[in-house]
Amino acid sequence: MASPLGSCSSWGPAGDAGKDHWSYLVAAAATMSRVSVPCHVKGTVALQVGDVRTSQGRPGVLVIDVTFPSVAPFEEIMFKNYYTAFLTIRVRQHTSTHTPAKWVTCLRDYCLMPDPHSEEGAQEYVSLFKHQMLCDMGKVLELRLILRQPSPLWLSFTVEELQIYQQGPKDLGIWFQVSPTLPASGQYAFALQSPSMTFPKWLLHPVPCEQPAPLLEGLPDPSRVSSEVQQMWALTEMIRASHTSTRIGRFDVDGCYDLNLLSYT
Amino acid sequence: MDVLPVPLPSAKMAAVEKRRLPVAQAANFTGSGRPGVSRAAATAESEEDFLRQVGVTEMLRAALLKVLEARPEEPIAFLAHYFENMDLRSPANGGAGEPPGQLLLQQQRLGRALWHLRLAHHSQRTAFNNNVGVAYECLSARGRKKKPGLDGRTYSELLKRICRDGEAPEEVVAPLLRKIQCRDHEAVPLAVFRAGMLTCFVLLEFVARAGALYRLLEDPGLAVADRHVGQAVLDTLEGALQASDDTTPARYLEAGSRLGPDSLALAMDRALVAQRPSAPMTREEFLEKAAALFIAKVKPVG
Repeated sequence: MASPLGSCSSWGPAGDAGKDHWSYLVAAAATMSRVSVPCHVKGTVALQVGDVRTSQGRPGVLVIDVTFPSVAPFEEIMFKNYYTAFLTIRVRQHTSTHTPAKWVTCLRDYCLMPDPHSEEGAQEYVSLFKHQMLCDMGKVLELRLILRQPSPLWLSFTVEELQIYQQGPKDLGIWFQVSPTLPASGQYAFALQSPSMTFPKWLLHPVPCEQPAPLLEGLPDPSRVSSEVQQMWALTEMIRASHTSTRIGRFDVDGCYDLNLLSYT
Repeated sequence: MDVLPVPLPSAKMAAVEKRRLPVAQAANFTGSGRPGVSRAAATAESEEDFLRQVGVTEMLRAALLKVLEARPEEPIAFLAHYFENMDLRSPANGGAGEPPGQLLLQQQRLGRALWHLRLAHHSQRTAFNNNVGVAYECLSARGRKKKPGLDGRTYSELLKRICRDGEAPEEVVAPLLRKIQCRDHEAVPLAVFRAGMLTCFVLLEFVARAGALYRLLEDPGLAVADRHVGQAVLDTLEGALQASDDTTPARYLEAGSRLGPDSLALAMDRALVAQRPSAPMTREEFLEKAAALFIAKVKPVG
């Protein structure tokens, strides 16, 4: 499954506020945040010439309709190919005016199998993105996938596991420097944010929209203070973790006394 | 660095020369035949025998093993101390007159045990545990009259001595001693002894770090730290320590995030901005509060 790198659309917090303290952003990672759009996939309809009841002729064209309960923006379509050679996608978009929506081709004869007679690409997972489409896919009402398989070798062909995604919230997986206020400290963190995951509070620090207050002069060097405090933390953690389970038996009252536990006085 | 190796080969060569000399002399006596050769061989053999009889080879081997285990920063000083203490270790104490009194023996044992414990830093855990074992044995062998084993009184005394030598203030270590001390008549098993020693040494290092931290926080002119800043730093440490009790890696990430330079800078900044006048925090107070955070995490004995 291929997913493109660096296709996040914004580099900082929503809006332009505080753009300068994101100047330490290193890179935008893969777009991993997507939201699955609920859709209804109608059954495949074979296009045949002549009498549809003839079971002998194997159709070379199939049509799959996908409807959406509500108007949805389109980001990505993902499916598992099953011996389909060429794919055409037509879309019917919602228009603001009262004109009836028209069907527009957004993907024309996309090749899924380089050689329709051979196996290559026959059972691959395929992802198609917004930027590959010929038209703008902001408000999609219906999708129609037209599958073609000219080769007579295959008994049937279809696409399976069809999923449509729309873009998730803007905070995608990005690398950011934890301390936008102190560029000297090279601490990086990777935050993956998606609406399905809840994050502990400490991971969301620093809140990007917060403007850092200018630090007073004469503060002790924070990195050295931090180093000492972290070592103190580590020492305490070590002691907390290491504890002996051997009891001195101070309050044992049952009858089995070890020689060493008897009084020495 | 090029100068250094030069003396060594010559020293080696000198040693080799020395050894060769009797052989060379023997070669001069080839005229006389057999006796010369056997004399040279006898000399060579007797040297080795001599060393072995005196026990020097064994002693040196033990000393070198100790150096390897402890990996001290100053090996010569370490070896000097080692050989100094060698005397105390031999049971026949020079055989001078009457055997020393009970108290003196006790002090000697404590001294020896302390020396053993100080050989390796607590972070070199295997070496440290070995030394703890040796110290425990040393303290447990209590002469013919008393039963073997370490009693609580000696254990407590040892703890106090370690803390005193480590230059930790009394008030700082008193709560720890209360937690891990054993009653005078109780017998201290090895595991408890080991845990107690480890806690003690780690506390000493902790207090040293806290001292260094105080030096960072203090005002260079006044030699005291601002109360709010010191308290803010300690509160941040406390917050990081109070994280959930399970040992998931997330806890370390969380602590690292909380104790990073920027969050500490923010905390200190906020404390300074508050600007409420108050008495400064002395070093002793800071150390006491810091140690309290540590000691809170120590599991009490029993």
